Amino acid sequence: MSSSISLSLRRIRALTGITLTDLTRQRVFYFALIFALLLIASSVLMARFSFQQEFQILKDVSLGAMSIVTSLLAVVATARLLPQDVEDRTVYTILAKPVPRFEYLLGRLLGILLLLAISTLIMSALFVAVLCSREQTVLHETAQQMASLPRDQVEPALAAVRHSALNIDLVPAVATIYFKATLLAALTLFVSTFATTNLFTIVVMVFVYFIGHLQALARAYLLQEQGGGWTAQIFLAIVALLFPDLQAFNLVDDAVAGTVIPLALFGKTALLGLFYTTVYTLLGTVVFYGKEL
Amino acid sequence: MTEPAIAVRGLTKTFPVPFRRVSVMAVRDLNLTVEPGEVYGLLGPNGSGKSTTLKIILGLVSPTRGTTEIMGRNSRRVQSRASVGFLPENPYFYKYLTGAETLRFFGKLCGLGGRTLHERIDQMLALVGLEEARHRRLSTYSKGMLQRIGLAQAIIHDPRVVILDEPTAGVDPAGSRDICDLILQLKKRGITVLLSSHLLAQAQEICDRVGILSAGALVREGRLADLIAIENRTEVVLENASEKLLQEIASVAARSNARLIECRRSTTTLERLFLEATGEENTAPASTAISKKDQKKA
Repeated sequence: MSSSISLSLRRIRALTGITLTDLTRQRVFYFALIFALLLIASSVLMARFSFQQEFQILKDVSLGAMSIVTSLLAVVATARLLPQDVEDRTVYTILAKPVPRFEYLLGRLLGILLLLAISTLIMSALFVAVLCSREQTVLHETAQQMASLPRDQVEPALAAVRHSALNIDLVPAVATIYFKATLLAALTLFVSTFATTNLFTIVVMVFVYFIGHLQALARAYLLQEQGGGWTAQIFLAIVALLFPDLQAFNLVDDAVAGTVIPLALFGKTALLGLFYTTVYTLLGTVVFYGKEL
Repeated sequence: MTEPAIAVRGLTKTFPVPFRRVSVMAVRDLNLTVEPGEVYGLLGPNGSGKSTTLKIILGLVSPTRGTTEIMGRNSRRVQSRASVGFLPENPYFYKYLTGAETLRFFGKLCGLGGRTLHERIDQMLALVGLEEARHRRLSTYSKGMLQRIGLAQAIIHDPRVVILDEPTAGVDPAGSRDICDLILQLKKRGITVLLSSHLLAQAQEICDRVGILSAGALVREGRLADLIAIENRTEVVLENASEKLLQEIASVAARSNARLIECRRSTTTLERLFLEATGEENTAPASTAISKKDQKKA
């Protein structure tokens, strides 16, 4: 189908809005309650550890949960969009208007990305609130315990508590969680353009998720065993395109360990996410243009 | 010579059967034109290729061979859809949206916005009689109401051509009547309507011309009045005719070498009876119909 019509922001915005409204009214944000309960439970259970251990576990559990929840949301929410529209014939009504198929896919994807951004913000806000609350409690307890000591001994202890709790290195870790989710959403949308059911899409994406997390290990092993021959490199390049290296989006471990994340590494990860998201969106568009509805 | 609203030339569509070296021919060398302002009915049994033809005209499916045009524009181009509205068979819109929100969404897709869109929404809701239900979610709408909101979204951008796929399928007689009336209103406004149906009585009532599809091929096409007329028969409908008058007509007919085949009381349609019984419409006037065979036209 030809689409020599200029892109319309109004149409894309309408499709983005409808996708967000759809998912919001289906109460997908309820997952935030589960996340909040997990946070509260973990902060209560870990009160017995030292404050360094407590903050480290709290960050680990929270960022890990955030990563799983956003990835799950990206796959499950995206997988149903296209098959549902085809089954309900809504896609006929939309594409019978002067809407190019690329705009339809882009609008739908942007709706999902907006939903993921809101979800990540809600979870981050909950996480920061719990972390700050625990930080205040620990600061208060530390100050009370060291009340009899001179001020120059108390201040470093309080600074150590503050440093272990909330710091700026958590921002790139949370951002890469979002980048990974956008990549997964774009890949899910691409798979759903040729899948016949959303179950098929979800099953494929589960495989992609696990292979994506394991491919860095497999690559290191193959390059070591095969000596980096050109056949191995071509094979690895194909695997890398089909199964994105999701481990590259894991900056959580560094953030939890308190390692400073270099800006260059963060920028590279962001660009990798953008590259994969763009490639999958374009591939999805090509397949969708040839699809008989 | 005016440009046809819809032109289909040499259209063929085959669908390959997965895992087999065969294909199914859904539409076979189809040629048809729909003139501006007319209501054209594409009739045929299930699986005759009606919906596939409509989808190809709308650019949703690619033809294997042939071309389709809407208002002179190749319908595979997205621009051609600016002048067309479409209501699919048994549409399910986003059920969590209200009637007004649904129209706003489809209006925006057609490039409408601001005050113009607001006014169009009000006009469309009034036209299809859903003003009271404008703030209700579509999940609470009846089948007939869904068809009406579907028709409203199809014409939200004031298109010159409207394509309706089985517009009254699954709708009760009252809802069906409403939809037929709306189609006739569109015709009055000069909008071209192409509809597919297998409900022949309704097609007979609203279509100017029809094409009959069978196994993907157009087997009959023409003006409805011409297609269904019986060449050598004439009907006369009289009101308040006495028995004596009827006998005189019979004898006059006999003297003119014509034969009075049937003289019976006129009947209403079952649809009209249903609507009357359920309070949807007033009683139709009674009349007497006389069918005459071999009567030469005066």
